[in-house]
Amino acid sequence: MAFLESNAQTARALQGMRSMLPLLPGIIPFGLIAGLTPITLGYHWSDSILASIWMFAGASQLAAYQLIGEGASIWVILMTVAAINLRYVLYSASMAPFLTDASRPVRLLAGYGLTDQIYAIAHRDFPVNTWDLSERLAYYFGGTLVIWLLWQSCVLAGALLGQVVPAMWSLEFMIPLTFLALGLSTLKTTAHRMAAVSGALVTYLGLDAPLNLGLIAGALVGITVGVLSKRVLHAS
Amino acid sequence: MHPEFLWTTAACALVTIALKSSFIEGSRHIHLPRWFREALEFVPPAVLIALVVPGVFKGQSSLEAALGAVAIDPRIVAAAAASAVYWVTQRTMPTLGAGMACLYGAYWLQL
Repeated sequence: MAFLESNAQTARALQGMRSMLPLLPGIIPFGLIAGLTPITLGYHWSDSILASIWMFAGASQLAAYQLIGEGASIWVILMTVAAINLRYVLYSASMAPFLTDASRPVRLLAGYGLTDQIYAIAHRDFPVNTWDLSERLAYYFGGTLVIWLLWQSCVLAGALLGQVVPAMWSLEFMIPLTFLALGLSTLKTTAHRMAAVSGALVTYLGLDAPLNLGLIAGALVGITVGVLSKRVLHAS
Repeated sequence: MHPEFLWTTAACALVTIALKSSFIEGSRHIHLPRWFREALEFVPPAVLIALVVPGVFKGQSSLEAALGAVAIDPRIVAAAAASAVYWVTQRTMPTLGAGMACLYGAYWLQL
């Protein structure tokens, strides 16, 4: 940790790493699946690890792979990735006050490293401590380094595993199963369930639409139905 | 290496970092409009469940591609079983395990 200038920074970096530990087991299977699925679609393990290094956003990686496999248009792929990653705008807004005084390269690196996990622990620990910028950065990058290394290791392991698993095992089916489990976990209220059902229905009806536009239509209808259902249900 | 795959995912990476960096880079005084916050709540259920649909109903599994098609698409049976397992356990890994097991089972039963 030679790059850390003071004991306070080292302590914060270690604290960030420690705080991240309980959140790590959950990402291991997803990392393996994210590494493996590009291989099941006919790509090389090097494609898989490179894509994971520059995207570094689990669920949207899976969505991009599935859509690439279906031959979707680049715009549909980008819109879907944007939709899945839209939550980062909220995280970004919440982290901004703690990071805006850093230099631009550091801010960009912090943006790249933003995950559900680092957001969860930084959002918890930044407001209640009187750390200076260098301490906050040490904490943020300490935690991020740990999850980044574990994620990419799992992706690499999954990719290498994928090279030896025969196609007939149909491991590409783990992508929709993962979205199923992630999606079902978000169905908290009636409005959320309405959003999911209507979005799925429109996507199903639009399966033969060109360029996978049925998926975009389904997402937009689902979101709209969700918002309107909530208004109606709250009004009544 | 497949250049088209790499270019496509690199474009996805640019979109991702733009979203992640949006407010860290931008002014700290911008406020997200209310409709945006309202809509954001329903993005996960709408998008994640919509993404299941093509994976289950479009084309065929590589299992069927390799060993021949059967009458009832095993992916539909597997997705239904996985949903039931999620309903009961509320956990991701058992859901994935049950889904894959039922995919193989539903295929094998029809051979």
